Amino acid sequence: MTVPPTTAELMVVTLARELRNGEVGMTGANSTVPVAACLLAQQLHAPDFTLILPSGVVNPAPGRLYRSASDGRWLAGAEAVGSAYDLFELSENGRLDVMFYGGVQIDRHGNINLTRTGPPGGPPAFRGPGLANISFAVVCRRIMLYSATHTPRTFVDRVDYLTAPGHLDGGDARRRAGITTEGPVFCITPLAAMGFTEPDRALTVRSIHPGVTPEHVQAATGFPLPEPPPWPHTPPPTTEELTTLREVVDTTGVLRAPAATRIPSGGASR
Amino acid sequence: MTGRSGRTAKVRDLDDALAVVTDGCVLAVGGLWFHNAPSAAVRALVKRGVQNLELLTAPPSSFTTDLLVGAGCVRRAYLPHVSFEHLGLAPNVRRAVEAGSVELVECDEATLLGGLMATLEGLPEHPVLSLKGTDHLHSSPLARPGRLSDGTPALVPPALRPDVALLHAQQGDRFGNIRHWGAPFCDPVLAKAARHVIVTVDEIVDNALVRAEPHRTTLPSYLVDAVVEVPFGAHPCSSHGRYPHDEEHLAGYLADCARGELATYLARWVDGPAGPAEYVAAAGGTARLDALEEVVA
Repeated sequence: MTVPPTTAELMVVTLARELRNGEVGMTGANSTVPVAACLLAQQLHAPDFTLILPSGVVNPAPGRLYRSASDGRWLAGAEAVGSAYDLFELSENGRLDVMFYGGVQIDRHGNINLTRTGPPGGPPAFRGPGLANISFAVVCRRIMLYSATHTPRTFVDRVDYLTAPGHLDGGDARRRAGITTEGPVFCITPLAAMGFTEPDRALTVRSIHPGVTPEHVQAATGFPLPEPPPWPHTPPPTTEELTTLREVVDTTGVLRAPAATRIPSGGASR
Repeated sequence: MTGRSGRTAKVRDLDDALAVVTDGCVLAVGGLWFHNAPSAAVRALVKRGVQNLELLTAPPSSFTTDLLVGAGCVRRAYLPHVSFEHLGLAPNVRRAVEAGSVELVECDEATLLGGLMATLEGLPEHPVLSLKGTDHLHSSPLARPGRLSDGTPALVPPALRPDVALLHAQQGDRFGNIRHWGAPFCDPVLAKAARHVIVTVDEIVDNALVRAEPHRTTLPSYLVDAVVEVPFGAHPCSSHGRYPHDEEHLAGYLADCARGELATYLARWVDGPAGPAEYVAAAGGTARLDALEEVVA
């Protein structure tokens, strides 16, 4: 009898399905879910997906997951080790297809705040970790958002500080700001899988996870969700997805450990 | 040793090497997050009570930044991202920025590296085109508006030149040839941008080993001014390929800080041990540190 998937495992499998063969993706800090999703996608439908860790490690294959994004043990079996200069090159030459971001705040248009809360000017009410790779939100083709928490504090109407651009004011605001890439296309949380619908490009529920009610999702979101229920349920992992995840990607059960069901919030990305 | 006759060794003891880090200087600290951080050297600076540093780090940093800020050594800091990864936020940086006691210069990786690249290129500034749509355009002095020669709008971070770069690597020889076993990350850029470069290494190796594998040298000796042998010198951070970060110790640091007891931590781990060897003994000795590989997930 297979143990049912944890919320973290469901998030990984659902995110992995969004990744495309041939893409080049990069992850940040607190990235257990995105890293696992990339490694799983490589094993299933996207063997030509390239994963770059924030330390510059390319295509790691350590046979397990490490909690620290830049742990030296990710090097075992990897294909290359780049440097900060390589990351600079990636950003200035727009070589990335997919970037993964979490946020202290994520707003209805997928803008990300990792910097500060409170009114502008003067010391912040709350100082976040900051974000190193802001430019990747501009130059990489698609952005995947993820959050370990789905609360009105995280999902806000408008970020207090716009660290990394999502769809800005919505519609074609990104293009008007001189940004030519797609921006956020997907967001995975412990409650739901979400996307961005035209023409407003506002965060919209695609599916809610098993056992979650529409009322819960709306109450946990700090702005009215545009397309009302009914919402379909997120398709559960297939046997192949779950078996591959557990036997090839996450062999030590990091995604099944109690700590992983409450993946640390907020401080995602470099 | 196979060094040529009369060649000058750059091996120093820690305090001697750190004498160049004076109050008010611009200090670059290498590594990234929990990894390859020159923690022993930073502890020595805190113990000596260096003040008014202008701190510049690799785009993501962690423990060493938080310790320097918490101990009151820093006046101004360029910190794109600082956190304790999955363990939480950097408590002293957060407190200092919220209190306004440290001047935080907002920046990101592209503008910080742009400023460093300008120094590497011998230019006053290095244009960056990749940053758009962020509030950093209004709040970051490195996101200075300018233009390319063809008129295209660009951000032009000014050249950043640290007085001293403080790095940690796994091996070096006595002439200052350095070998990173894992990710060198920003260390080579910091070494090339800084006026003076100090590298702590877990192990000093023979020059013959360096010559047998020259492709493994990550910083050639001409970039390095001082090399200091400090076994476990990155602890509680990791040294890639040698030992992982000590998550129990880092969690203890965060717990002390959460209780407002950074002073307790400093007394025990910074001011208490007479030097790096005594520190390692206090941290459980080499047997415990060698076994971290088995316990850190």
